[in-house]
Amino acid sequence: MLLTKEGVTSLPICPNGSVNCQLSLEELFDRAVKLSHYIHFLSSEMFNEFDERYAQGRGFIAKAVNSCHTASLTTPEDKEQAQQIHHEDLLNLILGVLRSWNDPLVHLASEVQRIKEAPETILWKAVEIEEQNKRLLEGMEKIVGRVQSGEVENDIYTPWDGLPSLQLADEDSRLFAFYNLLHCLRRDSHKIDNYLKVLKCRLIHDNNC
Amino acid sequence: MDLRHLLFTLALICANDSLSASDDLLQRPQISKCRSPEMETFSCFWTAGNFYNLTVPRILQLLYKKSNEEDWKECPDYITSGHNSCYFNASYTSVWTPYCVQLASKNEIHDKKCFSVDEIVLPDPPVHLNWTLLNTSQTGIYGDIQLKPRLSTMAPLYSLKTARDYEIRIRSRQRTSEKFGEFSEILYVSFSQIGIGCDHCTEEVEFPWFLVVVFGVCGLAVTVISIMLSKQPRLKMLIFPPVPVPKIKGIDPDLLKKGKLDEVNSILACHDSYKTQLYSDDLWVEFIELDIEDPDEKNRASDTDRLLSEDHLKSHNCLGVKDDDSGRASCCEPDIPETDFSASDTCDATSDSDQFKKATEKEEDLLCLDRQDNDESLASTDPQSWHRNTPSENSLLWAPFGDSVESPRPSVHTQISNQNSLTSNDFYAQVSDITPAGRVVLSPGQKSKLGRAQHEGCTEQNFTVDNTYFCEADVKKCIAVTSHEENEPHVQEQVYNEDGYFTTESLTTTVANFGAPTAAPPSSETPVADYTSIHIVQSPQGLVLNATALPVPDKEFNVSCGYVSTDQLNKIMP
Repeated sequence: MLLTKEGVTSLPICPNGSVNCQLSLEELFDRAVKLSHYIHFLSSEMFNEFDERYAQGRGFIAKAVNSCHTASLTTPEDKEQAQQIHHEDLLNLILGVLRSWNDPLVHLASEVQRIKEAPETILWKAVEIEEQNKRLLEGMEKIVGRVQSGEVENDIYTPWDGLPSLQLADEDSRLFAFYNLLHCLRRDSHKIDNYLKVLKCRLIHDNNC
Repeated sequence: MDLRHLLFTLALICANDSLSASDDLLQRPQISKCRSPEMETFSCFWTAGNFYNLTVPRILQLLYKKSNEEDWKECPDYITSGHNSCYFNASYTSVWTPYCVQLASKNEIHDKKCFSVDEIVLPDPPVHLNWTLLNTSQTGIYGDIQLKPRLSTMAPLYSLKTARDYEIRIRSRQRTSEKFGEFSEILYVSFSQIGIGCDHCTEEVEFPWFLVVVFGVCGLAVTVISIMLSKQPRLKMLIFPPVPVPKIKGIDPDLLKKGKLDEVNSILACHDSYKTQLYSDDLWVEFIELDIEDPDEKNRASDTDRLLSEDHLKSHNCLGVKDDDSGRASCCEPDIPETDFSASDTCDATSDSDQFKKATEKEEDLLCLDRQDNDESLASTDPQSWHRNTPSENSLLWAPFGDSVESPRPSVHTQISNQNSLTSNDFYAQVSDITPAGRVVLSPGQKSKLGRAQHEGCTEQNFTVDNTYFCEADVKKCIAVTSHEENEPHVQEQVYNEDGYFTTESLTTTVANFGAPTAAPPSSETPVADYTSIHIVQSPQGLVLNATALPVPDKEFNVSCGYVSTDQLNKIMP
């Protein structure tokens, strides 16, 4: 099934062709929101497909979210908290989460191909998510550079040590590791999507969304 | 015993089933669903079941716990969401935090569920629907509208017909979820309300699929029927190729269907493989026990009289054989060339030679015997013997004859085989004479036969062979010199039954191969004309051909065995 990138068009960086042009913050946020929305859509689809293909009959139940490697990052848990947190902090958190997922997504794209009879759609999505996550990270760094007055803090980062679990010999254990990783990916991509939309509404539209 | 064990097992199974069924009747309290309409609050709903006695008030509690907490807390709001529900407002809702809820009463836990709020989002149906016109088509037949729920995204509807009124209901779902919420209230859309109703628009005629299908089927049926009934075999064969039916060469399937076993037997008798066990060689010997005394008996009575007295001259099986594909033609008319039987229905071409061989065999024997038998029977008991040849006996006689053909007499057999090589296939045969018995004698002459025609008893061969035809007179000489072997009347009868006529070919073979004490050649040594003129047309019974029996003083007549013209005949005629 060929999946088109919803709303993610290749917009020219400088429509006028000038070298020193800059995209407005609004345009940056628009692209960021579209990317985050697209990444969440792919993650959700991928999780559903994996669940349908491998998790049925195995009794997989997603572990507690504490098992996600990004659980240590304190992120807003509801709309109210998201609206109350400072936008710079929120932006840094978004960056931290995106950076923390950089490494796992690379390994996910490579390890999922070793799953026996993995559907082509899952393989394709894994590669696409990794690619789009990099683009979103670049965009967010630009936004942070625009928004933040001070230096960009890059210390928000959680390392990922789940690679051995994706390479377990036992197929059930290995598939369960994939299941949890995809579950965490869906959750975190949903968080980022919501955070960006809240930020966009707050910064661009002054909370008049 | 085993039966008791079986019954006991069955009883146990039934008991278990009944117990489980009774368990199903006692429904335990369970959490039916938890739902968040906007990802800010959520509610859980449960069913109480009938576990407890109604008299004892049951107290059900919903306890919840976040993943990062350790203690179970009770539902903050049992009322807002209705009966048997628990409502969690925004302060209690953490979107991406996993929750676990459990339904308990006192110390008993009935049901438990774990989820996170972002997974249970199911939007409420849109309310306060309104619509606006986006645009209309150039013809004014179609229009686009935009639906505007109060708190939801707008939804466009395209290509609505302005001449119609619509009832619209909307439901929504989270984009990354597959589940839809409930449908909204009905929104009534009428273009005439806003003044753009299309009055001049006629109702679009939908494609009459039903009519197309009906007419198409009827047309196809008519076409098929017309093709079936068509008299054009080509077209019919092109579209409906005939199914090949099994065919036995030489057998017409219709004969088998009609049950005409007699005819089938006659056909099968042509083939070597068909042998009836009932008849043996003895019968053959029996059949040929006829006394052949005077070859001149033929001249006792005029042919005409003999012929006309034979009012029962009828064509039996083979006499009246039609040129159908019954397969008998080749058997019964040996003068007909073998190659003429191109149709597979007739006797096999391969077997034709054998068949002809047999035919000639039988012809030879029967002819010679027949002639002598003719002479004597006609004089005496001819009518009676003829009457004996009732058609009812045909079948009986045919079969034995068929068998008898295959048991030729040794004296003739070898000669027959020699003779057969000389036989040719003539497409036409001349009627040269009618025998006293009323048989028509044909005269297909053949040059090659001359070679082997030399034989004892026919030494004085003066076959005038100017063409492929023999003169019958010459043939008759040989015939007159035939054996004294006895024939049975049955043989004669058989002959009558089988053939309508002899051929001169057979005559020649007979003549050539019949080893017999020579007798005085017939008095008439006049050459036989190839064609005979009509002598007497006397009765409806037929014509009498009689050119050979007349004295032919004319030289020219003697010389040539050609056609006798009427002038010549007039001279000849007394």
